Amino acid sequence: MTVAESTDTASEGAVNDDVIVVDDLHKSFGSLEVLRGVSLRANNHDVISILGSSGSGKSTFLRCINLLETPSSGRVFVHGELIRMRESANGLVAEDKKQVERIRAKLAMVFQSFNLWSHMTVMENVIEAPIHVLGRPKAEAIELAEKVLQRVGLYDRRDYYPSHLSGGQQQRAAIARALALEPEVMLFDEPTSALDPELVGEVLSIMRGLADEGRTMLVVTHEMGFAREVSDQVMFLHQGQVEEYGPPDQVFDSPKSERFKQFLSGTLD
Amino acid sequence: MAEQEKFDHWEAIQQFSENVSPIDFYLILENWPMFWEGAWQTVTLVGLGLFFAGMIAVPLAVCQVNRVPVLSQVVSAYAYFFRGTPLLLQLYLIYYGFSEIDFIRHSFLWIVFKDAWWCTLIAFTINSAAYTTEILRGAFDQVPRGEVEAAKSCGMSAWKRYIRIIIPSGLRRALPAYSNEVIFMIHGSVVASTVTIIDILGAGRILNGRYYLAYEGFIAAAVIYMIIVFIVTRGFNFWEKQWFAHLRPRET
Repeated sequence: MTVAESTDTASEGAVNDDVIVVDDLHKSFGSLEVLRGVSLRANNHDVISILGSSGSGKSTFLRCINLLETPSSGRVFVHGELIRMRESANGLVAEDKKQVERIRAKLAMVFQSFNLWSHMTVMENVIEAPIHVLGRPKAEAIELAEKVLQRVGLYDRRDYYPSHLSGGQQQRAAIARALALEPEVMLFDEPTSALDPELVGEVLSIMRGLADEGRTMLVVTHEMGFAREVSDQVMFLHQGQVEEYGPPDQVFDSPKSERFKQFLSGTLD
Repeated sequence: MAEQEKFDHWEAIQQFSENVSPIDFYLILENWPMFWEGAWQTVTLVGLGLFFAGMIAVPLAVCQVNRVPVLSQVVSAYAYFFRGTPLLLQLYLIYYGFSEIDFIRHSFLWIVFKDAWWCTLIAFTINSAAYTTEILRGAFDQVPRGEVEAAKSCGMSAWKRYIRIIIPSGLRRALPAYSNEVIFMIHGSVVASTVTIIDILGAGRILNGRYYLAYEGFIAAAVIYMIIVFIVTRGFNFWEKQWFAHLRPRET
């Protein structure tokens, strides 16, 4: 560890339990400021739901954590390790691509539109990253894949192509793909928003199971029930800022923010 | 006795072919080794040309998709020139044009450029690479952004994303357009016959030149081209079935 890294870590005062620390994140697209200073601290085993109406910046925030979007300013630590970025003509860019790739593999992401690799079967999707990113032997990857596919109830569909599955099955396959990375944190970007209402349940129940086994999860969602029952912390974003933050009981039962009250009454209608 | 009879048999067929039949098929059969060699010539030139063109086109298409500064403009200009001019003209520029350049005549390159076969192969390769680059660029662009993002989010490097996701997925998408390119290339390969190469059309031309029988030579050539294109089309159909399993509705 270099001196610079250790000071960064020390200055943040991150303890071992902090899996993810986001510090004062800003993001602009052109003149549009989507995130205006968002910070977050996720401990090990935390499930944090991130709520907000569309355009509040919640997805952008999640995507800044694994650098699918590069923030305009701010810092992201994963297990106390700062993701190093430097200034360029177009704002910040990752300084060390290898570091970013290594960290991304620890933060598996589940997308709204599944994003399964369409030319591969479910099994091939699940073993792809373990073999070609983590360098696992194929036999070991398959063994793990069988386990996670059983877990999401898709073992008997392992040789199907994504386009031959329902939306709910595709999202479960995407969760299996994420699990196969044996990630330290799982990032969910509106995992049920693209699903037909009757398919939402099967995905949510798997996510509940993952939360129960103590996985660290950041979940951008519109599912109030999930946010309330499953998460340890709820974060409400409005116009790129944190409007409300706290444990679900406190946040839902006695919200301090007017905006969040409006948001709740709107979604509960 | 039996031999004599058989001989007469053939003689009768030859007589019929020459004097009665509108097409002298006996003459074609007599010259079939020339057509066979012509077909081999066409297939090897087109096959090798397509192979090398593919090797060139994949990296060029990747460069186009990424809009690599300078290089991308150079590739665009190259594709524009070779798609904008006839293949025959390109072959003439290489075969006749390069022989006028002293530097080439006096260097080791002359071994290649004095030979019509090599000139043809080079013309086919660069021409097809220009078209294939454009086909692949479109196909790579069509790979859904989300699939690329998923690859990123798993920690794949840019190189891995191309090798594992974008190129395999893109090549599948390119197949229908590419099968047209292959057929155009087979048809376009007739230009080889204008620079002394005896390909399928070349064999037909020889027959015509020797006997002043246009139909015999050219119809034989046409049939052979049709057979080759038929085989290629069937091959692509089969290949598409294999590779497009993920896009077809599942058979129940």
